[in-house]
Amino acid sequence: MTLITFSDILYITVNVMMGEVIVIRDNIKGGALTETTFLVLLALYKPNHGYGIMQFIEKETNGRVTLGAGTLYGAINTLLKKKWIAPIGNEESGNKKEYIITDLGRKTAEEELKRMGELWHLASTIMGGEME
Amino acid sequence: MTKTVFRYFFDFIEGQEKWLNKMAKKGYRLKKCGKMVYVFESCRPDEYDYAVEFVADKSYVESKNYRQFLESMGFRTFTKNINLNFSVGKGRWRPYAKGMGQVATSPGGFNKELLIVEKVRDGKPFELHTDLEDLISNYRAFLNSYLWAAVCSIVLVAITFMPNEFNHLLLLHIFRIIIGAVGVSFIVLIIKYSSTIRRHKKESKTNE
Repeated sequence: MTLITFSDILYITVNVMMGEVIVIRDNIKGGALTETTFLVLLALYKPNHGYGIMQFIEKETNGRVTLGAGTLYGAINTLLKKKWIAPIGNEESGNKKEYIITDLGRKTAEEELKRMGELWHLASTIMGGEME
Repeated sequence: MTKTVFRYFFDFIEGQEKWLNKMAKKGYRLKKCGKMVYVFESCRPDEYDYAVEFVADKSYVESKNYRQFLESMGFRTFTKNINLNFSVGKGRWRPYAKGMGQVATSPGGFNKELLIVEKVRDGKPFELHTDLEDLISNYRAFLNSYLWAAVCSIVLVAITFMPNEFNHLLLLHIFRIIIGAVGVSFIVLIIKYSSTIRRHKKESKTNE
């Protein structure tokens, strides 16, 4: 689900003209998810409602990340729009609406894990020697 | 025992929030609120925390959904007005809002521009917005409404300087001064909130 914008085309064109055959995606659209997004996706590998998502994130990060209710609400709506998560059951059930990750969401999360793995590998290669 | 207080806030987000928290500290819990009136009941001091949310940039359905969501998270919520309008069957255009949020009607989203959110104190800070990106867009939403209000008052003051037959009236000068003062207080708040946004933006360059 990558949208190619005018600036991307310009970027690619310039790179090809300058003889750079390898196209590096610019880091703004490099696919890095925000921590909030990634954690919400992880919380929804099992069906969960708003309060459950908040508790999951707080517990699994040992309190390092606590999501505000407003931020969580915004994140849920954004993910619904992107179709990375979907509501379960009838929409009108109101208070305790439950959500689950979609296939598209899973794919996105897997890509993020891969990106983080590469970053982790790079960081531990460089920093690992110094730390010992 | 209940306590009734009349108050109106120009700084309707942070000013109102601070005041409600001060009242809670003194042992007053919000029971209900009207246009300019707040009714409190006695509670133990420091039992509750309050936050004020700006929802005027959302459509009526969206803000209702948001309110329902907050209630499902275990908070108590109240709707609150920003403007002092006493009317039914009225509509308003909100150029600062997005999409359907631009049209507010009464009954409907009109006079329900704010949500007062109450949380039972549990030792953790009461923050509805924790993500930097989200904080910035939240501040921007009500900064836009202040900007619009400031532009309106500047235009109103400018109109009074146009040649007209009331020029000699004292009333015109009084009107000019009042609107001017209101406009200035909007500008002060605009500066305050823009500097908050700037601070967050600086941080968001390196941190998430």
